[in-house]
Amino acid sequence: MFEQVALPHLDAVYTAALRLTHNSDDAKDLLQDTILRAYRFFDQFKIGTNCRAWLLTILYNNFRNNCRRHTREQLAATVEQFDHQAETRSLVDDPPLRNPEELIATRMAARRFEVVLNSLPSEFREVLILVDVQELNYQEIADVLEIPLGTVKSRVSRARAMIRKAMLKAAVSRGKTGS
Amino acid sequence: MDCREYVDKFLSAHADGELASRERRLADSHVGGCTACRTRLAEERSLKVLVRQHTNIVKVPAEVHLRIRAAIGEMTDPNFIGRNLSTRGQDSDRRFLWPMRQTHVWAPIAAAAAVLLFLAVYSGRSGTPAPATQFHPVPVFDLAIIKYDSLTRYFVPNVPSDRNGTDFAWVMDRRDSGQPDAGMREDIGRSYSEADMPDDLFNFAPTGYQVSGGRLDRLTDGRPVTYTLYRGSRDAILDIGLKDPEMSAPVGAVYWIGMHSFYEYKGYSFCLTLSSPGHFVSITLTRAPLTELIRDVAMADALATSDDQ
Ligand SMILES: [Zn+2]
Repeated sequence: MFEQVALPHLDAVYTAALRLTHNSDDAKDLLQDTILRAYRFFDQFKIGTNCRAWLLTILYNNFRNNCRRHTREQLAATVEQFDHQAETRSLVDDPPLRNPEELIATRMAARRFEVVLNSLPSEFREVLILVDVQELNYQEIADVLEIPLGTVKSRVSRARAMIRKAMLKAAVSRGKTGS
Repeated sequence: MDCREYVDKFLSAHADGELASRERRLADSHVGGCTACRTRLAEERSLKVLVRQHTNIVKVPAEVHLRIRAAIGEMTDPNFIGRNLSTRGQDSDRRFLWPMRQTHVWAPIAAAAAVLLFLAVYSGRSGTPAPATQFHPVPVFDLAIIKYDSLTRYFVPNVPSDRNGTDFAWVMDRRDSGQPDAGMREDIGRSYSEADMPDDLFNFAPTGYQVSGGRLDRLTDGRPVTYTLYRGSRDAILDIGLKDPEMSAPVGAVYWIGMHSFYEYKGYSFCLTLSSPGHFVSITLTRAPLTELIRDVAMADALATSDDQ
């Protein structure tokens, strides 16, 4: 039962572990600890709920409890630093991009996107990855990160706004978009 | 709803499918009549795709996959441990120099062994009767290593337990006679004995290891298994106890004391103890050098037998 329900999420959990530890040895350890712990406490898993979210909750708990915080990368800027890079504009005043897919039309733009994503303050990048990559819902993210549901909601919204702003600025500076 | 309200409060949740039905109707109706916000919603969804495209799911390395599956396999294949040890049984007739533990009978022998080993260990001479041989993979040792690695990191003791078997509580302030973990060993031993498992825990205290806790688990076929963890200043010793009538020692032991046979395996030191009357098996392992494990076990044995007199 455990194997069928939990093991299909191994890669996803490992990916999250890599993002937390930024070191493949630590990520492997963290993954193994997480899975063995999940196995031990599998009776606490509610069948029918999202097993990936449950595994990620254990992963984050393990990480919080056992890894030294300072092993986390320092790439993540503060919101202020990030905002400083992008021009400060009201979200609503931003004109829509003429064609959002245009942003990945060139390798330049793709690289730019990665830079923008990775320079997001970690708490914002984290929720985005949990919602868009790990495909957790807001409540599951709130449980994993142990933060209020409202905070998840506002972080997602804020994170996308920050990315959009930064991308828009890049596009504007290359004359890629009108208005 | 105006555009600002939509973008600030609804847009992201709308793109994520996180709006409640009433909110969703409001949002849909605004977007339906507002080109700008409809475009923003499309952008928001494109951003989701971009994030996914730029954040690849990384595949777990094969060896990690195997380790994890092996660790879980220990529980899901009830015959795993017994089968893997017993296949090598016929090769190892010489494994026992002495009879099985008859505690009261061979105390002097154990004490003498301890003295000998101290001499051997500290004088740097080898007391080893057989040369260290290259030996084949022993799956049960691999599993013990996995257990060691996980339990030394997260050890959740569950004995002594209450009658429901759910809680555990130490009697921390139990009086002791110079051995801080004596009371704890007694408590754990009692719990093990209630499960018909061997209750004579090693006393490693004189060599610097204190008992850290005990766990009583079950393999999926219902066989009980005990895990007793001892911690020293530099490393830990894990003792795994289970019952297996079929088990015999793998070849490749480099030393024997009584029913203990010692192995060096993948950077870990092992002591395998088989006791014929109850078909109990104890697998003791640590990262410390084999000489230290031999010394510690000899010492523990000597103490156990002298205590009994
Ligand atoms: Zn609008």
